[in-house]
Amino acid sequence: MIITCPYCGPRDSSEFVYREEGGRIRPDQASTDQAAWNAYVYDRVNTAGEHDEIWQHSGGCRAHLRIVRNTVTHRIVSVAFARDHGRPHERRKAETPA
Amino acid sequence: MVDQLSPLAPVLRPGRHALADHSVGVTLTETQPGSIVQLAAWRGEEGALIAAIREVAGLALPDGAGGGVSTEAKAGFGFAPGKFLVVDQDEGLAAAFAKAVAPETGTVTDLSHGRTAIRIAGPKAEWVLAKFFATDFSLPAFPLGSGISTVHHDIFAQIQRSGADEFDVYVFRSFARSFWKSLCHASEEVGYEVL
Amino acid sequence: MSPRRATSGGLIDRSRSVRFTFDGQDFTGHPGDTLASALLANGVSLFGRSFKYHRPRGVLAAGVDEPNALVTVLRGEAREPNIQATMLEIRDGLKVVSQNRFPTLGFDVGAANQLGGKLIGAGFYYKTFMGPVIGPLKGTRFWMFCEHFIRRAAGLGHAGTAPDPSRYERMNAFCDVLVVGSGPAGLMAAKAAAESGARVMLAEQDARLGGSANWSGETIDAQPANDWAAGMVRELAALPNVTLLPRTTVWGYYDGNTIAALERVTDHKASPRAGEPRQRHWTIRSGKVVLTTGAFERPLVFPGNDRPGVMLASAAERYAVEYGVLPGDKVAVFTNNDGAYKSALSLREAGCRIVAIIDVREELSEAVRALAVRTGAEILSGRAVTGTEGGKSLSGIKMQAFNAKAGAVSGDPRTIEADCLLMSGGWSPVINLASQAGAKAEWSERLQAFLPPKEADGWVGAGGFNGAFSLEAALAEGLAAGGEPDGDTPAVISYELDMAPAPVFEIAAGGKAFVDFQHDVTADDVRLAHREGFQSVEHLKRYTTLGMATDQGKTSNVPGLAIMANALGKQIPEVGTTRFRPPFAPVTIGALAAERYGEIRPERLTPMHDWHIANGATTYSAGLWHRPMIYGLPGETVEQAYVREAQTTREAAGIADVSTLGKIMVQGPDAAGFLDRVYTNMFSTLPVGKARYGLMLREDGLVLDDGTTWRLGEQDFLMTTTTANAGKVMQHLEYLLDAVWPELKVQLTSVTDQWAGASIAGPVSREILAACVTGTKVDNETLPFMGIVYGEISGAPVMICRLSFSGELAYEVYSGAGHGTHVWEALIAAGKPFGLVPYGLEALGTMRIEKGHVTGAEIDGRVTARDLHLDWMLSKKKPFVGSMMMDREGLTAPDRLQLVGIMSLDNRPLNGGAHIVEELDRDNPHGSIGHMTAACYSPVLGRHIGLALVKGGKSLHGQRAFISDPLRKRFGPVEIVSHHFYDPEGRRMHG
Repeated sequence: MIITCPYCGPRDSSEFVYREEGGRIRPDQASTDQAAWNAYVYDRVNTAGEHDEIWQHSGGCRAHLRIVRNTVTHRIVSVAFARDHGRPHERRKAETPA
Repeated sequence: MVDQLSPLAPVLRPGRHALADHSVGVTLTETQPGSIVQLAAWRGEEGALIAAIREVAGLALPDGAGGGVSTEAKAGFGFAPGKFLVVDQDEGLAAAFAKAVAPETGTVTDLSHGRTAIRIAGPKAEWVLAKFFATDFSLPAFPLGSGISTVHHDIFAQIQRSGADEFDVYVFRSFARSFWKSLCHASEEVGYEVL
Repeated sequence: MSPRRATSGGLIDRSRSVRFTFDGQDFTGHPGDTLASALLANGVSLFGRSFKYHRPRGVLAAGVDEPNALVTVLRGEAREPNIQATMLEIRDGLKVVSQNRFPTLGFDVGAANQLGGKLIGAGFYYKTFMGPVIGPLKGTRFWMFCEHFIRRAAGLGHAGTAPDPSRYERMNAFCDVLVVGSGPAGLMAAKAAAESGARVMLAEQDARLGGSANWSGETIDAQPANDWAAGMVRELAALPNVTLLPRTTVWGYYDGNTIAALERVTDHKASPRAGEPRQRHWTIRSGKVVLTTGAFERPLVFPGNDRPGVMLASAAERYAVEYGVLPGDKVAVFTNNDGAYKSALSLREAGCRIVAIIDVREELSEAVRALAVRTGAEILSGRAVTGTEGGKSLSGIKMQAFNAKAGAVSGDPRTIEADCLLMSGGWSPVINLASQAGAKAEWSERLQAFLPPKEADGWVGAGGFNGAFSLEAALAEGLAAGGEPDGDTPAVISYELDMAPAPVFEIAAGGKAFVDFQHDVTADDVRLAHREGFQSVEHLKRYTTLGMATDQGKTSNVPGLAIMANALGKQIPEVGTTRFRPPFAPVTIGALAAERYGEIRPERLTPMHDWHIANGATTYSAGLWHRPMIYGLPGETVEQAYVREAQTTREAAGIADVSTLGKIMVQGPDAAGFLDRVYTNMFSTLPVGKARYGLMLREDGLVLDDGTTWRLGEQDFLMTTTTANAGKVMQHLEYLLDAVWPELKVQLTSVTDQWAGASIAGPVSREILAACVTGTKVDNETLPFMGIVYGEISGAPVMICRLSFSGELAYEVYSGAGHGTHVWEALIAAGKPFGLVPYGLEALGTMRIEKGHVTGAEIDGRVTARDLHLDWMLSKKKPFVGSMMMDREGLTAPDRLQLVGIMSLDNRPLNGGAHIVEELDRDNPHGSIGHMTAACYSPVLGRHIGLALVKGGKSLHGQRAFISDPLRKRFGPVEIVSHHFYDPEGRRMHG
């Protein structure tokens, strides 16, 4: 499988590690809502189909990536920096700089 | 000043190896730079950091992911969003950057002892590196001066293309000897010379 | 001259000879021969014995589809079984032996299995190993005894036990277009793609590029097809953007056009060059994949179709044209399509006599009849072969009238004398790789074959792969697949043949008719499986093992399906096809392991590693790191060494290499605030120049790691982690910063390798430092507990922090890694007058147990801070990672395992992992209340002690219990005590 890192370009999946289900909001640091914490730590949707995920390019730039991946076909639908929550980013340049 | 002891010292054997019936496919060198510094910019401060690199090291890094410049004595390249590795054959670069990079711009981290620099050059350099890294080393995909971060099993590497047939590989010091041995082993097929 | 080598022709190099052995007998062949072609040329027709019935088997095919002719190659002590003779190039010195025979290939006692054939039909194992349900041998025990012998009789080659000394490598490649298969379609595709400027790779599993052009006898561009192919290959080889990979089998097609291929680099060389790998495993990432993998000819299923001498028509043609080998003198042909007529003609032109062409079809086209006339053969249409004669080689065939529509034979058999029978049951496109890529095959009624889908993601097909069997079509489709749909194709001269077969797969006429040659599955087995209720094709496969041998059913899948469909009374597409899985062809484990063989993990060495080795250290691995265990003196045992080292450290001083501790620079304006969030205790209040011990929890409230963090500047912290958890902690922190709190301005950098660390401990450690450190004082006032100073040792800059793991007055001396040995040696020299000794991990472990410090043995992912009595570190003033989850009911329950000390009461050593019980029961060990996590002999106490996690924890202090370790047969009385064995007030380290 190839994952196109927004910084590093297309790389082999062996350079990446799956970290977490994406799209989950951690309760505020000061929150004392025990149910919300339990949900954050333990609840996962486990989609069959397009799944929102966070991967880390651990064998590359080490950025965390928000990846939408189809768990049935393995097709990668989109990749973006996790910290941008989906904002598109410039791809790695292919030309030799002048 | 005390010289750094190379982690490769006991295994680095200068000379030509495995040349029984072929020419030198690659030359391997430990370049032993005096300074290896990691610079990181806060978001939106990348331009200011690139300006600081130009001011301190005299390197004009091009924009864009992985962009870099390699000269005889100095080199620099981006290896992650907002992060750069700057290398100088002379010591003292970290201290110079510490003065030039304001805290609101980013951070300076001295890695002069923590990374080992190995240059692999020659007509078979791409071939030998491709045995280790699942990365496209061809010139169009990996332009002159640019850099990448990648990994070979447990060994992280930052690699800059310093010439058409020349790459500088930066590995963690503790892994350097193991990587060097593997590199020599992989180079036997094409014949290699250790400078 | 070899008995069956034609006097001329073939692409072999007749000017040179190659010598090899088969079953110890010397043979010669020529460069360019495979083992199969060379042995056939020498008149050898018997290659092996079959899997179950030990029937004599010859060679069926000429390439990767060969199911029968499997051999074992001997390379020194190493042996490699199940190599296809058709894919093995001969070389000088090649040593090959046949398989599955005893004592010899010619006389095999296992052949008696043929007599019991009815007993070992489909599902034999499943039925047998249930054991008899009644009678004196009821149950499975007797059958398990028999199984050993039965399994020995069945099977293929056996693997060797000697290590394989060969070298294997892995290679990564990237290209725009990967062409799989170098037949006419593949060559056209590669050329077209290369001319467009694309980076092209062309993989061919055979040694010679060209595919069918090498043996088709056709004409392309006014030259013999093989010359045309050779010219194309020369042109491609000269292009800088083309990589040609002969002897490279593409075996896997994975997500994102990631392709796995195996290149046989030196298997064909008598003397490989220095450093060349035997095989190279390619992982190719290609923008587009062009599949020009051609088609496999199918056997016909009729009684005796496995006798040596019966082979695929195209294989025989290939032996004759490409290798100059005549597979027989008197050749008969049995077919259901036109293709075999061309093969017959090729053999005739090479010098064979074609005695008869038997065709199941009643009606034959004019073109085919004209071809048949040229072969000189008797034409017998509307007939079928119903048996073969001969022993270990064919002597004749039996033929009867056949009604293709009804599938029935009739009339009296006629015998025709023949020593070779060519058969052709139609063609199956090689869609394996497309199937791996997820393509669903479509049944073609006309071609009686599964074709790839027209539209696909990532790949495009051409030629025989698409079911386009004519040369013109292959060239045109290849050109289009290479990206030039409107380009000109070269002119060709070829035969006008209709490759569509009559829908006949089996001639049912009594006797063993093989579908899967390699697994000895007959047509009757398939029907038996059906009668026993196996209706799904997937179940059929597993029950009969049809298509599950090393050849993955290349020749047997479609005939098997057809017979199953017939039994079910269904059409073939209704029965379905199975999905092909990797590997397309067998792959050596060595090539997959490649450099991960032997010492598979990279060594991680500290800056002082060579000093340790030179000074008598015994090392062991801790993760990837190699660390000193002890510095043993001559004659010392491990226990004597660590006891001496620990004792000397407590009485004078010791020095240990702590460079392996994980070190992370945490920098930025929000660094202090970030540390407050991830540690359970406060770090924003830590003054610059001081260190603090910190504890980190996971999000679920359990302990993640501990370590000290040093504040080097207002915005700069040096965090240390345990050696084992360095990577885990880094990932944890990176995730929080990147994915949870991206607004924080904090930068993390692994600096583990930047610093060499030496821990110097013991009552005289301060004096030793004072003797060698310049530029700073090290007295209690300048360097108090948890203080940090900067200075120099022997000219090298150092950073010294006063902290203790051993419980003694102790310091960690950090220097640049490149200065590590220099500083270490200076410390050793300075310490000599004070009795300083180096100590290893054993002594370090002993002293930490005496002190009751926890490490990874206790922080096992199941413990809370309270379990370790570290609740004093849980800040109540701020939230931190895990703070809301750590107080959950289950994590605060009174019966949790908690840290205690254990003292042996029988003066015998304790073991980590032993259970703690309240009452000892050696015969029925039970009632565990916890387990030991670490143990040592304590020089300070003169006792065997340890740490344990025990239910009830502190409340059991002073109580007697037992250790129960049934695996190591260690039982005995212990006392549960506080984990602080030594200097509980900490006077020594604060002194």
